[in-house]
Amino acid sequence: MGERKHSLTFVQRWFHKNRVGYFFILPSCIIILVFTLVPLLVSFVLSLTNLDIFLAMPDFTGLDNLRRSLADERFWNAMKNTMAYVALSVPVQMLLSLLLAYWLSKPTRFNKICRSVFYVPVLCSFTAIGILFNLILNSTVGYIPYVISWFTGETMALLSDVRFAMPIIIFISVWKSFGRTLIILVSGINDIPLTLYEAASIDGASPGQQFFRITFPNLLPTINFTLLTTLIGAFQVFDVVYVTTGGGPLNSTETIVQYIYYRGFSMPYELGYASTMAVELFLVIAVLVLIFKGFLERRIRQIY
Amino acid sequence: MKTITASKVAKVLVCMVILLLIVLPFAWMIVSTFKLQKDIIKWPPTFWPKTWTLNSYISVWDRIPLARYMTNTVIFAGLVALFSAFLDSLAGYAFARLDFRGKEIIFNIILLTMLVPFQIVMIPLYIELNLLGILNTFVGLILPRITSAYGIFFMRSFFTGLPPDLAEAARIDGMGEFGIFTRIMLPLCKPAYITFFIFCLTSNWNDLIYPLMMTSSTNMRTLSAGLATFVGEGVRETGPALAGALISLLPLFVLYCFAQKYFVEGIAVSGMKG
Repeated sequence: MGERKHSLTFVQRWFHKNRVGYFFILPSCIIILVFTLVPLLVSFVLSLTNLDIFLAMPDFTGLDNLRRSLADERFWNAMKNTMAYVALSVPVQMLLSLLLAYWLSKPTRFNKICRSVFYVPVLCSFTAIGILFNLILNSTVGYIPYVISWFTGETMALLSDVRFAMPIIIFISVWKSFGRTLIILVSGINDIPLTLYEAASIDGASPGQQFFRITFPNLLPTINFTLLTTLIGAFQVFDVVYVTTGGGPLNSTETIVQYIYYRGFSMPYELGYASTMAVELFLVIAVLVLIFKGFLERRIRQIY
Repeated sequence: MKTITASKVAKVLVCMVILLLIVLPFAWMIVSTFKLQKDIIKWPPTFWPKTWTLNSYISVWDRIPLARYMTNTVIFAGLVALFSAFLDSLAGYAFARLDFRGKEIIFNIILLTMLVPFQIVMIPLYIELNLLGILNTFVGLILPRITSAYGIFFMRSFFTGLPPDLAEAARIDGMGEFGIFTRIMLPLCKPAYITFFIFCLTSNWNDLIYPLMMTSSTNMRTLSAGLATFVGEGVRETGPALAGALISLLPLFVLYCFAQKYFVEGIAVSGMKG
């Protein structure tokens, strides 16, 4: 074996089965290193500086930005709005998708049509969705305020009303994205072996029992993973707010990413401060993901 | 028996309501693009236009640089999807089928980057592209996206499912690893390639914050970022904005009608646990 190895040239040795893998992964690794891992580290460093967009030599300000954010009312407001968005949109989207996935998992014609149509909003950009909803919710030309005015006798500017703006944003966001979760859960349900259901029906299990004893526990890993990604996505909510209210009225729908974007990319372009808040968001997500993952995995172990 | 019918009725009712909630806004939007401006802003609003007109579709090209946005989006999303599908299949294949030291660790690090929110890297990325002098260019827009952790994960799970004997036979015949990949594996992974290409195309086509940040001039904007800024700046006429939005959706929608299977597969894998 050793002799054979020596007879290979340098090039051949590098292209040997056990090394050639590095060449396959090299391009991807460089891209991920340069455009994800390095920026991730830099972000932590930037958060300790007062860098602005002109990229002049920034001062090291230590934890000043952190202190500033903790005293920043607008930061807390944005945090609160983001939490409200997460707390409402995630459960609504998951439960709705779960119910629909249970109903629509079999490949009948009606189910297929529903699944196809429910996925259409997922295809659309939030920009287009925003333009669409701005039209039908508009207080002077929109159809929805018109229908509401039949009952209340007055037209309401729904998106510029502090009471309604956030609930409407959550509605639009669920409306646009539940189709995606639905598809994932349907394919998860269809991966469950049919024999389990056959055995259950022979034993006389009702559809309800079959759902809670077979479908749900077998689907748990999929639900777990989907919930996690939905949760992370919800904390990063930006698009839906940007194209509908832009954070208003009176910052009542401004989310944390919205505020980061505003601080970093409009006058006076405080990239350092924006980075600090991005790091804080990252830490919040990381902590929640850890708690959540631990909790869910314990649940799964209990059920099996 | 009674409970089953009750739940069937509930199912059909709920699904019908949701179907209406999705179809009606789109129908309203489509019909509105054929209205005159004064009919769009009429109170009380009516569904059918008084006179049908193509004005919105004609004027949108002057009001918004839509052709430019469309070209940019096709270049950006198309090239990203093309490169990403290739590089990710390379890496995915290596992680699935080749042995090398540190494979597990590297793969786990790549998977972990999936959990890093874009918002935390966006500011350093912006500075990085600026320092490299490629901010507001296609290279700068495309390069950071030409590989993705999800793509590598996706391709790896595809290659893991292929029988290993294929490569083994070719290896005994003295074929090199790159030859095995390009001549045997790549043709086999065509369905996975198409699926991921479509997944990647869709997500970059619709992406908003990334192209919004990395481009600053109007003629570098993509459809989604360009339309958003244009509407934000207050295009007073609703018709052209609606027509623009509709045109921006059309290519993906047509693709979806013909290749729904691939769209669904690309999404379904994301529910699998790594």
